[in-house]
Amino acid sequence: MNIIEEAVKRGAKTLSEHESKLFLAEHGIPVTREVVVSTEENAVLAAEDIGYPVVLKGSGEALSHKTEMNLIAIDMRSEAEVREAFQRLTSNPEVTVEEVLVQQMVKGDRELVIGLTRDDQFGPCVMFGLGGIFTEILEDISFRVAPLRRVDAMEMMDDIRGKKILDAVRGKAPVDREVLADILVSLGQIGLDHEKIREIDINPLKILDGKPIAVDALVVLDNE
Amino acid sequence: MTCVERAPAESYDLEKIFNPKRVAIVGVSSNGMGFGSAILSALIAIGFEGKMYPVNPKGGEFLGLKIYKEVSEIPDEIDFAIISVPASNVPAALDACRKKGAAGAEILSAGFRETATPEGIALEEEILEEARKGIRVIGPNCFGIYCPKSGLTLLPGPDLSRESGEVAFLSQSGGMAIDFGQIGTWMGVRFSKVVSFGNGVDLRECELLDYFGDDPETSVIAMYVEGVEKGSNFFSVLREVAEKKPVIVYKGGLSDAGSKAVKSHTASMGGSERIWKAVLRQCNAVQVHGLEEMAEASLTFSLVPPRSYEGISVVGGGGALGVAACDVAETYGLKLPVLEEKISDRIMSILPKPGSSAFNPVDVANPLVSPQILKDTLLFAAEDDKIDLQILIQLLYHYKSLAMALGAASVKDVTPYRELADSVEEVVDKTGKPVIIVLPNNKRELQSMDLEEMIRDARDIFLKKKIPVFDDLFDALRAVHHVSKYYAIKQRRWKEL
Repeated sequence: MNIIEEAVKRGAKTLSEHESKLFLAEHGIPVTREVVVSTEENAVLAAEDIGYPVVLKGSGEALSHKTEMNLIAIDMRSEAEVREAFQRLTSNPEVTVEEVLVQQMVKGDRELVIGLTRDDQFGPCVMFGLGGIFTEILEDISFRVAPLRRVDAMEMMDDIRGKKILDAVRGKAPVDREVLADILVSLGQIGLDHEKIREIDINPLKILDGKPIAVDALVVLDNE
Repeated sequence: MTCVERAPAESYDLEKIFNPKRVAIVGVSSNGMGFGSAILSALIAIGFEGKMYPVNPKGGEFLGLKIYKEVSEIPDEIDFAIISVPASNVPAALDACRKKGAAGAEILSAGFRETATPEGIALEEEILEEARKGIRVIGPNCFGIYCPKSGLTLLPGPDLSRESGEVAFLSQSGGMAIDFGQIGTWMGVRFSKVVSFGNGVDLRECELLDYFGDDPETSVIAMYVEGVEKGSNFFSVLREVAEKKPVIVYKGGLSDAGSKAVKSHTASMGGSERIWKAVLRQCNAVQVHGLEEMAEASLTFSLVPPRSYEGISVVGGGGALGVAACDVAETYGLKLPVLEEKISDRIMSILPKPGSSAFNPVDVANPLVSPQILKDTLLFAAEDDKIDLQILIQLLYHYKSLAMALGAASVKDVTPYRELADSVEEVVDKTGKPVIIVLPNNKRELQSMDLEEMIRDARDIFLKKKIPVFDDLFDALRAVHHVSKYYAIKQRRWKEL
């Protein structure tokens, strides 16, 4: 089943976090292990399957600012904590939450951002930069026009001021640039292949033992 | 590769357009007023090599040339036409020129799409239809073509150089074309072809880039562009051409187009300025932010051997030199490596003392040091393998005091700039490492016009020897940076691809 076509058909303007990651994973981009559940029992089963600690997030297309809406419970380390978190998320007074995402907790040691936008003149463009809260504060980012050659992907990593974050700093493993390049090239290709996708944010893309993994993702559709 | 919906670039046609033997100038009035008469006077002044046929329904004569009442009355076939008639008469004039055999026409007239009126837009559509029948169009709303070889010149360009060079310039703006033409004349940039394409109804950035990419007379391409017709086409043409030769891009109007409704961080941060910068980086085009920077980069690309330069030696004296040179070099990713001890010892042995130092920058302590000593200093410094290129700063204005002290009639009489030029030429020939000259003038008051004149004379003498000259060190290092970066990226990608 095609995630994008289906979402467009039902009139969605964005994919949920989980759908976004399913789509990205189909294109070879590493994402967190996660399951959507609608009952407390299933939340516990999912957590045990994924392995503690886990993160629980309110799930749904409309829920794109989960931190601000208090719809995230991180670092849940036991069955009791999962049950309590499930109850809390599904009884939010401001918003109806019917489904909950139970997700592998990735601590990681660095946060990057990668994304896709469409320029009026040049078409799909891929972004790379410092992730998490630094994305907006420092705007330390670079762009390339799709399709990206491998050399473009490699060069755009070197274009940011904070490029040393990719090195073996403070005893951390260096970031696997080859895998990062694969992701950047894939994202550009997604932009060329899927006209209905207007924008993509993968933020943060965390680094775990030198390997990137998409912890949050948003696919914005062109569905006017 | 060419832009979509365009006839393929017939290089034969373009050759005929740049080097026409017979040109109709449509819209010349016998009273000498208007663009048509101005361009005809300019062609005569610059010494255009071909035949010129002025046209105006009133007939008559202008500057000794018969004015034909109709294009069809011209006794010969024509190769090219310059059209400067009211906008509404342009399509008919174009049709007549095509029937006379013209391969192309430049349309100086305004009053088309740029007016944003339905009439203007409709007239421009008509021009495009005429073009498709088989005549290439430059413009409308442009200043035309400058080609030193044939003597074709821009609208207000009677005094541009007839000396051909390796730099091609294509510009959406006519003003930018004439400004660069004029700056080039004194700065030492020599052009193969300059095209101001205005509204660009037919020939424009993609096709011209592609043409200049293959043009054997062009080794450096500069362009001024505000917007492009089709971004993805431009991107692929630019990338392809910049792999062959340096393309210097001055993008006008970089401020963001405005607030689009976007949902993601990625989209909100991808404004036009950032994307343009990315496009130029990705294509390995050289981005510049002003006319002078573009001219300086063009000059340097055309005069120094094509390679990247990392280690620079800076030689000068009698001014604030050392720290500033290092700081600026670092800003531009260039290095001023400390010279090998045995080399700096040898340099020290010939420099006046005290006050001099010979690490790098080399401070010769005294602005009046002789050309012989400067030559030896440069020759010694070039022996260091870490040095790829040398910059010599000469504060020639200090000779004014000497002239006054000696009671010399002219500062030119006491300033050894001709010997210096010969010395520098010898250094370049012997070492194979380019030398760039910086001639700052810190005495620009009205009473020192003699200095201004002398420095300009010196500039011309160096330029005749193909030695680049700059007014200040900052500009010189910036230009070297552009050259170095272009070739460094080209070389690295060559290895990786």
